[in-house]
Amino acid sequence: MNATPRSRARRAAGVGGLALLVALGLAATPAAARAQSIFDRLRHAAGSVGSVARTLLPISTDKEIEIGRGIAATIAGRYPVSQDTALTAYVNLVGLTVAGEDPRPDIVYRFAVLETPTVNAFSAPGGYIFITRGALDLMENEAELAGVLAHEVGHVNKRHVIEQLRRSDFMQSVQDQTGITGAKLQQVVGQGSNVLFTGLSRDNELQADSVGIELAASAGYDPGGLAAFIGRLASHGEGITRDLMATHPPPAVRIQKLQDLARREHLTGGVLLTDRFRKAMGRTSSP
Amino acid sequence: MRPRRSVGRLPLPVLVATLGALAMARPLAAQQSQWSDVIYVPGHWQAGRLVPAVTHDPATDSMALVMRVDYFSHPPRWRAEVRRSSDGQMFGDPTVILGTGTSAVVVTAVGTTPLAQHALGRDSLVRAATLIFDAAGRRTGAVSGRFADRAADGSILRIVFRRSVRGASFDDKLLDPRNASAGAQFLASRLTAVGDQRSASVVATAGARGVDQVQTPGGTIAINPDTMAVVRMEHYAVGDLRLEDFMRLGGLGPYKPAPPDSGTARP
Repeated sequence: MNATPRSRARRAAGVGGLALLVALGLAATPAAARAQSIFDRLRHAAGSVGSVARTLLPISTDKEIEIGRGIAATIAGRYPVSQDTALTAYVNLVGLTVAGEDPRPDIVYRFAVLETPTVNAFSAPGGYIFITRGALDLMENEAELAGVLAHEVGHVNKRHVIEQLRRSDFMQSVQDQTGITGAKLQQVVGQGSNVLFTGLSRDNELQADSVGIELAASAGYDPGGLAAFIGRLASHGEGITRDLMATHPPPAVRIQKLQDLARREHLTGGVLLTDRFRKAMGRTSSP
Repeated sequence: MRPRRSVGRLPLPVLVATLGALAMARPLAAQQSQWSDVIYVPGHWQAGRLVPAVTHDPATDSMALVMRVDYFSHPPRWRAEVRRSSDGQMFGDPTVILGTGTSAVVVTAVGTTPLAQHALGRDSLVRAATLIFDAAGRRTGAVSGRFADRAADGSILRIVFRRSVRGASFDDKLLDPRNASAGAQFLASRLTAVGDQRSASVVATAGARGVDQVQTPGGTIAINPDTMAVVRMEHYAVGDLRLEDFMRLGGLGPYKPAPPDSGTARP
């Protein structure tokens, strides 16, 4: 069953050489003929050398939004969406400000507050982003809110939930995304909801942190907002932060990574907007 | 029997070749860019009328928000979606201008009209908005920040707040006059500028859903999905002008202070 090292090397060299020829052919193709996705052609090329394998199902933006709507409905079913229009407007304004630094042009970002003391935030595919009242209560300024919302925008922009769904065994039985309708769609939504509530991968979370700090800083917020909020979570202990702590990397790791990134990218300055945040939260007394 | 190999375990030479192909293909593509200009002029809105003013110092005198332009550029071609405000409260529907280098056409319901022959060509603000491209169709001026256009006597003509989108990615069809028609304008609505909460093309499909069993860190729980809450989210919009005000008052986005070495002119 096992190939010898030499035969493995020969096969690798052969496949590699063929792939190199394919690659050179691609690079030399006239621009007009390059309309077809280069990735599709690479996949085709890979197939032609007989080394294919599991092809991940492409999911269009429309299908992503359709799946996202279902997941968003599940989130809204777990925690009621706030009817506080002033608070909803404020969260949307902060969210749109950070999302505007690197928007996905094919989706509309929407933000809502969930009425629960639990500290958490969620983003469903397609731009549906939620933050809980408990998380807002724990924040001290707008830069922290911006950092958390930007983290969620990062999940949306990187299509973390969709990518995880695509890689699931469950999706291997789907031949085409048009088949994701009706009961199948509900199954996908259920899988996506599970992904969201049980947690994305550690790498996904750290990548969303990176996007978050960069978007917030780029928008003009103090880049330390997200790290400050995470630090407050750590000192808050169990209870209302339990789910969030269970589904994210340890706060110390996240804070360290954020500080490293801020140093490396020279992310400094920015505003906290503490007064505006406190006013929006209905906190009248000074901190 | 040989085991089948998967793409997930490609040999190193294949990976090198693949990455090489991508690296070689990439420089052949010109850079796409996307940004928004929000334009103010001296004066203020009064009962739906713009009362102009003359000023040399926009920091102390009133400035009125009059226009927003969303740009999509892939030199030599570019696209400008111009939305005027006629009352300082709302932006109108976008008018699409397509350009190649310094020439420009306005997209109409039936095709295109050269900008010079269109009513918009007599609008000094619109003309200024299309004069930011050089003959090669490349943007001139700052990538982002705020800057002022001044008359010969130093008075302010307009203030522009520019915000660029990082990693712009859009369909080049949007820049092609051959696709220009009312139908092509519809495409613009998919390229939603952030804050412009035009509805996505996905039609609301709110309907009853049964109880879902969802896994959480604390175990499996039953959830009754709230589809109507999602519909309410989709119908909610804070509005462009409110977002502009929010960013301006907070010194955020295009209104954040320019770094000392950015080279952008301060109003």
